[in-house]
Parts: sequence; structure tokens; C-alpha cells
Amino acid sequence: MALEGSLQDMSLSDLIQVFRMGPKTGVLLLLNEDERGVIYVAAGRMVDAAIVRGTERVVVAKGDEAVIQMLTWDNAGFVFRHNPSVQTRSIRIENDGEWLILEGMRRREDPMRAMPYQSLSLDTRLQLAPVPNDAKSGVSLNVNQWRVLSQVANSKDLRDICRATGLGTEAVIRTVAELMSIGLVEVMPPERPRPQAAKQSARAARTPQLAFAGNGIPGDGGVDEEQPSVSQNLLNAIMRRIRGL
Amino acid sequence: MRNGEITMNALKLKIVITGSYAAGKTQFIRSISDIDPVSTDYDVTPDDERELKHNTTVALDFGTIAINERVSLYLFGTPGQERFDFMWEHLSIGALGYVVMVDSCRPGHFAETLRLMDRFAEITDAPFVVAANKQDDPAALPVSYVRRRLGLPLEIPVLPCIATDRATVKTVLLTLLQQIAARVPKSATPSSASA
Repeated sequence: MALEGSLQDMSLSDLIQVFRMGPKTGVLLLLNEDERGVIYVAAGRMVDAAIVRGTERVVVAKGDEAVIQMLTWDNAGFVFRHNPSVQTRSIRIENDGEWLILEGMRRREDPMRAMPYQSLSLDTRLQLAPVPNDAKSGVSLNVNQWRVLSQVANSKDLRDICRATGLGTEAVIRTVAELMSIGLVEVMPPERPRPQAAKQSARAARTPQLAFAGNGIPGDGGVDEEQPSVSQNLLNAIMRRIRGL
Repeated sequence: MRNGEITMNALKLKIVITGSYAAGKTQFIRSISDIDPVSTDYDVTPDDERELKHNTTVALDFGTIAINERVSLYLFGTPGQERFDFMWEHLSIGALGYVVMVDSCRPGHFAETLRLMDRFAEITDAPFVVAANKQDDPAALPVSYVRRRLGLPLEIPVLPCIATDRATVKTVLLTLLQQIAARVPKSATPSSASA
């Protein structure tokens, strides 16, 4: 069992945040073309890392620098496996996760490529991310990061933040991406589409239903095809039954 | 009445279990159903899908929970693969609510889960909860991260789940039923669907 994916699905900065939230202990392996990266995580903290290249496994980078270089990879596949033995490993990473993430972001030309599943535009609405009470961070924000962060709660969208801070669009998007990468800010949940009731009824009426013989599967008329009306008593009876299972 | 035995003229209520490919829908139903679930699986053909599981649900999974002599709760699992999504509408109409299952160890499935949630929101305004499956894996993503990636507001419950563990499956269903109950006016006259 393992956490598996690609950095296109989940960025390394997100993985580092998740390790801390867990807190997780184990080994993260990344494969980026002919380079392989490994990060050892103990109780949510990165303790060691290395990048090797080719079949000879030439060491390209170690420690903090290895993590920073991995933070600039876009398409690597990854596997994270729980491994308690990492707890006994010597610590060879000096800086904390947020500092390394921000350094990785600084080295990128386009920080949004670090989170391809997120998109930011002037209409994007942001909110402050819930931070655990026991969260400790050694990160120091720069002036722009503070200016943007201080406007997130008061502004309707990114356009508002640009207006309030006097920063240009590109600078605000870069700064927001940096704040998102260290988990201080997140995109506000979008409104979901609403049911198209009229269309739905018409579609249901003309669409042949699945025909199953017998036990009230949709389409045999046994189950109410409209939203059923149920009483509190009935729901209480269902909940009692499920609790008793 | 014995578990799973359905009498004539019984009231049949429906909850839909949906989610992306290999999210654990079939196992979820298997863990709680009174009967051995009726599954219409077939062997997976594409290589990448076969790596995840060897067979998949084509039409539907279906299990029941007998509430009493007159009332049965039906659980319908939707087919997880995109090419079978025409089934979702048939299955969701008339449902009391639905469970969206998501694999906490496969962030690559979040995009498909988002697409699925948007589609269900177009089809029905029935209440739903999200079950973050495979939480028994110490490497699994925490529920709070699953919530953030799926862009879910706090009023939508996101629950830790282990589809093979009946206790967590019960918690998911009970939370969904509480969401459904919250929409029923306390003073409403019991309808025909009263226990």
C-alpha cells in the first residue's frame, strides 16, 4: 500500500504539507526522466534527501539542495511508502519545509507550473487556509507576501487584491502561488452547478429506464423516480437499523 | 422477516454510492449489505486500468438493507469508468442521497472525482457526503487535504473511510442520513414513506 501519483496530480509542495499534517513517516521516491529522487520523512519532517542520475547512480545533489531541485520538477512520478525505520535516520536537512518550498518556487520562472491542477485568474476568490493550532513554522515572509496575505480576508477576489496592494497582476499571482504552496492560502470552494430540474424531468421521461425484473430497481416502477418524500420517523428507523448492524 | 428478504409492496428507498474508478464502491456495498451484492463486473481490458484492479463494475452493484417488514434501503454502486457515465442519471434519480467515494492514495483520481461531483450536482440536489477511502494506509492523504483538493465547503461532510470495515461504512451512511434528515421539516406530516 502506498500513496502514488504524478507531480501533475499533486505537487511536491503539497506532499511536503501533507507529510507535516499527518504527520507521516516514510520514504518518498520520485522518478524524473533519468534522475531519481529520494526524500526521507520522519514524523512529518524531511530529514534526508538525494538525487541520483543514470544507471551508475551518480549523486547529483544531497540534502537541502536535492529537495529544492526536486521542487522544480514538473512531471515526475512519485511513490510514498510508510516506513517507521526512517525515525532512526540522521538529520541531514537543515532548513524547514516551508523555506525549501519557497526557495524552489523562487527558482521557477512560472510558479503556477508547480500546481498544474490549480488555476489563478483575477476572478479567483481566496481564503486563508486553516492552520493547525500546533503548527510551527520557521518561514519568513517577504514584504509582498505579507501585503497579499493581509488582503486575502478582506478582498473579494484577486482583482481586489491587486487594487488594494498596488501590485501588478503578475506579481500578485506569483505571490499567491507562493502562499498557496506553503499552505497559508487556498482557493475558495467554487459553487457547484445546480440541478436542471425541468431538463431532468423531461430527460427522465423520454429515456428508457433500466429494466430489471423484480425487486424495485430503478425503472421497474418499484422505486419512486422523483425525489422521495420521507418522514423523520422513517429516517430514524433507518438510522437505528444501520447502527444495529 | 429475514435479512435481505423483500416482501411484496415493500417501500424501497435508494442511496447511490458513486466515485471514480477503483475508489472502493463495490467493497463499500459488500461491507454493509444484507445480501451478497449483485455485481455486474467484467474483466478490465486497458493495461493501465488493469494495474489498479482486475475486474470492474460495468452496469451496477446493488445491495440491500432491510429496515423492517415494509421498508428496504437499496444501495446502488455506479460504474466507475467514464465510458459508463450515462448510467449515473438513471441511478441517481429518486435517490435519497449519495456517497462520493474517493481513493485517498491516488491523487490522480481527484480530477475525475471533481467531474463526477459536478455531473451529479447537475442531475440531483440530493444531499451527499464524501468518503475518503483507504484511510487504513498510513501513507493515505488526510481528510482535510482531500476536502481542499475537491474544493468542498465545510457543510459537506468528508469522512475517513475503510470500505472493508463495516464500522466506518456505517458512519458514512449515518452521516448521510443525518444530512437527509436535516432537510426534512420536523413538523412535516409523515408521508406514505413513514416507518
